[in-house]
Amino acid sequence: MPQQTSPPARVATRDPLAWAVALVALGAFAGCIALWRTGGGTIDVSWARELDLRLHFSFDGIGALYGLLATGIGAAVFAYATAYVPLHLDHQARPARDRWRFWPWMALFMLSMVGLATAQDLILLFVLFDVTAVCSYFLIAFDRQERASRLAALMALLVTGGGAVAMLIGAVILYADHGTFSIPELASLLRTQDEAGGIATGTTVAIGLIAAAALIKSAQVPLHFWLPRAMAAPTPVSAYLHSAAMVAAGVLVIGRVFQLVEVAPVVQDGMLAIGLLSIAVGGALSLTRDGFKQVLAYSTISQYGYVVMLYGIGGRDGATAAAFYVVAHAIAKSALFLTAGTVTMAAGCRRLSTVGGLARELPVLAVASALAAATLSALPLTIGFFKDELFFRAAAEHSTLLGVVSVLAAGLTFAYTWRFWGGIFLGERRVGGAADDAAAAAKPLAPVPALLTAPIAVLAVLAVLGGIVVGPFAELASDAAGATLGHDVQLQLAYHLDARETWMAALAWLLGGLLLATPKAWGPAARALSRAGERFGPSHVYELSLSAVNRWSDRLHDVEVRDLRSRVAAVLLPGGILVALGFAATPTAGVFQIGSIDGTDLLVVALLALVAIAAGVVAFTHQHIAIVLALAVVGLGLATVYALLGAPDVALVAMLVETVVTLVFLAIVAYAPRGERPSRRELAGVASEPQRRHTHSRRWRDPLIGVVAGAAAFLVIWGALSRPTPAERVVDELVRLTPAAHGRDVVTVILADFRGLDTMVEVTVIGVAVFGVIALLRRGRTW
Amino acid sequence: MTLVFALAAATIFGFGAYLVLTNDLVRVVAGMVLISQSAVLVVIASGLTRGAAPILPTGDERPSDALVQAMALTAIVIGLAVTALLLAIVARVRATLHSLEVRELARDEAEHTAEIEQSQEPQLEELDRDEAEDEQ
Repeated sequence: MPQQTSPPARVATRDPLAWAVALVALGAFAGCIALWRTGGGTIDVSWARELDLRLHFSFDGIGALYGLLATGIGAAVFAYATAYVPLHLDHQARPARDRWRFWPWMALFMLSMVGLATAQDLILLFVLFDVTAVCSYFLIAFDRQERASRLAALMALLVTGGGAVAMLIGAVILYADHGTFSIPELASLLRTQDEAGGIATGTTVAIGLIAAAALIKSAQVPLHFWLPRAMAAPTPVSAYLHSAAMVAAGVLVIGRVFQLVEVAPVVQDGMLAIGLLSIAVGGALSLTRDGFKQVLAYSTISQYGYVVMLYGIGGRDGATAAAFYVVAHAIAKSALFLTAGTVTMAAGCRRLSTVGGLARELPVLAVASALAAATLSALPLTIGFFKDELFFRAAAEHSTLLGVVSVLAAGLTFAYTWRFWGGIFLGERRVGGAADDAAAAAKPLAPVPALLTAPIAVLAVLAVLGGIVVGPFAELASDAAGATLGHDVQLQLAYHLDARETWMAALAWLLGGLLLATPKAWGPAARALSRAGERFGPSHVYELSLSAVNRWSDRLHDVEVRDLRSRVAAVLLPGGILVALGFAATPTAGVFQIGSIDGTDLLVVALLALVAIAAGVVAFTHQHIAIVLALAVVGLGLATVYALLGAPDVALVAMLVETVVTLVFLAIVAYAPRGERPSRRELAGVASEPQRRHTHSRRWRDPLIGVVAGAAAFLVIWGALSRPTPAERVVDELVRLTPAAHGRDVVTVILADFRGLDTMVEVTVIGVAVFGVIALLRRGRTW
Repeated sequence: MTLVFALAAATIFGFGAYLVLTNDLVRVVAGMVLISQSAVLVVIASGLTRGAAPILPTGDERPSDALVQAMALTAIVIGLAVTALLLAIVARVRATLHSLEVRELARDEAEHTAEIEQSQEPQLEELDRDEAEDEQ
């Protein structure tokens, strides 16, 4: 429940970190305007030449549109958040330093959106696409003490991250077929190919994968379910995520790769269908929701459905209308989200059923959000009017049927938008209770800081300004459409009372009004759809598959961790089978060589026999001290063998290592001799099970496995050693080069020079192991 | 000599394989050490020439194969790292769980996990209900 703004929160409102990020956004906004007016610019740097990767950014029309949105809406949302975040942290009794989990991610979110808007390379697009997903993960899970927030963040990451992988696969297929990741180059290559007789199926699949990634990001049906869940985020995050970042990134990518989509009509038709479906499902579900942010979340699904549908219609009309729609929607939707946040802060509730009639007490907020709602529902004198005019024109030009559908869609939008606004600001005054609750009627509102209203007012003014002076916005949209289509587009917008589109809009308002007036007529059907979606829908599939994966991992854990033997077997057995297959596939007839024994070899044979006997002692004794001593005999015996075989370096190192290992091993064994301490079970009073009498088969199983493993190893090693290839002698070359490396010991030179990188990694392995040992012995403390 | 090397390496490997399957963690570690010793022996034995040490100027016309020696050195050092880590784990397991019997440890862990899961279940169900309400 919100209380009076406490002193620490007030101090934190002047938080330099927050203002720094907000000012960066404002500065970036100014920079974007300057770049747009001066015609932009291009950065093209080769990044990884061997892989054909380029850092290719170009501030074209799309870059200008989405860059201005990300920084402009960003500046408004960030300014709002400077007041919101301290209050939010205060309500949850969290320390002020948690703001460090908010602002850096918001800043990165904005930067990655600007980067995404200007990227001209598919791999760059993929990387920045994923950066936005990572940012959204941390921002959605900002209230990380809440399980719902964590699950929502995971869902957003998994679903959109899965999409991003599809995009990467698509990009790689296109590269394999056409030899470039550059989007402009691909566009011209594909257009030429299309004119020459159509593109290959693989290319269509690749384009489909990229489009799918974009649609998932824009929360289109059937993979829309992550977006309503993501409402677990703090309100400024939701506002930004819905209007200018993350979800906008999806349609941004479609706009960017639109020239590729154009040559694959199947993909474009699919987008049209998915857009329509999203408009319908999002709109219908939005009418059934009670939580402020849930209503808005489903409306976003529906609104981006419009944009996707417009890209599906394609052509000049579609591309222009889509670009304009994104701008108008971003302004209106961010304002409505921020309204929801302010009302929640003031009234302490977040459901339409528990508030009402707040217009008198929050007049500025009511007017500002009414203007935003008017924009979304396309009333005249707002920028939204033109978004629907363009939408109606594109739809009606495509076909009459689509024209009719577009009117229905706009009616739906009108209904859910005003249901949201009316539910908060109209009706009987109540806070935190039902309509006839006396306590709710009298409960006062918490004071609202000016910064929780001002950004909404600014956005509302912008929306109205856009309805009167539409020129700059039309220019922005036509520039973006130009970049999307690859040729210049002109867009003139003005009010025409007699135009077909105006009549269609009027019809839509009428329809919307009817829907608002008759909730009883459609309510049961919409709620049934919602329930069916919950029970059988894609989110259910997601949960089922996630819990299935969880179960599998548990089962694997059970098998692997709870029984060391089966883990060892899981490595040994497939390894053995693979080796056996390799052995069976290699011809073996007549290649086994016994080899001659001469000179010092007799000594080596004797030593090896000693080593083998010592290994047997290790295997059959149960005394830990004896095991360690026999191991030392094995190691030192082998070291002597290496010395006799002309490998003094190896012998010296082996000697050193053996000495150290033996001492450490002895220390570990002596540290607590076997059986001295009672086990945990014995301490708990549960008697340790009596040493089970191994059954006959069990007693013989382990030695048998050992014998089989040894025999198999013998065959393989003998086969391999008998087959030298003296023709290629790398080592002669190494010996020859050794003086050039300023060394005399060939082995040392190989390790330190010829294979220096290898040795460096080896040293790293040792370092990691040392940290592991320290952490283990010091109970997790590294120092 | 080929046969002798193969026999010796295979014997060490066989004993090692037997040991990693045993119930006592110290013997499991010993088995790992034996297997890595056997691998180093195979690498050294696969050298194409055997002669004097490959240190310039070599008196021998064909000194010992330096390449396999470099590989063997790497293998020995990595083996040291693995052994050290394994021994540290053994020490830690014994210090906290007072047992080195694999079967006993596995049983304890299974019981412990079951306890944790049981204590969490009602709590999780409640959380799920809250979540379903928030969705509306």
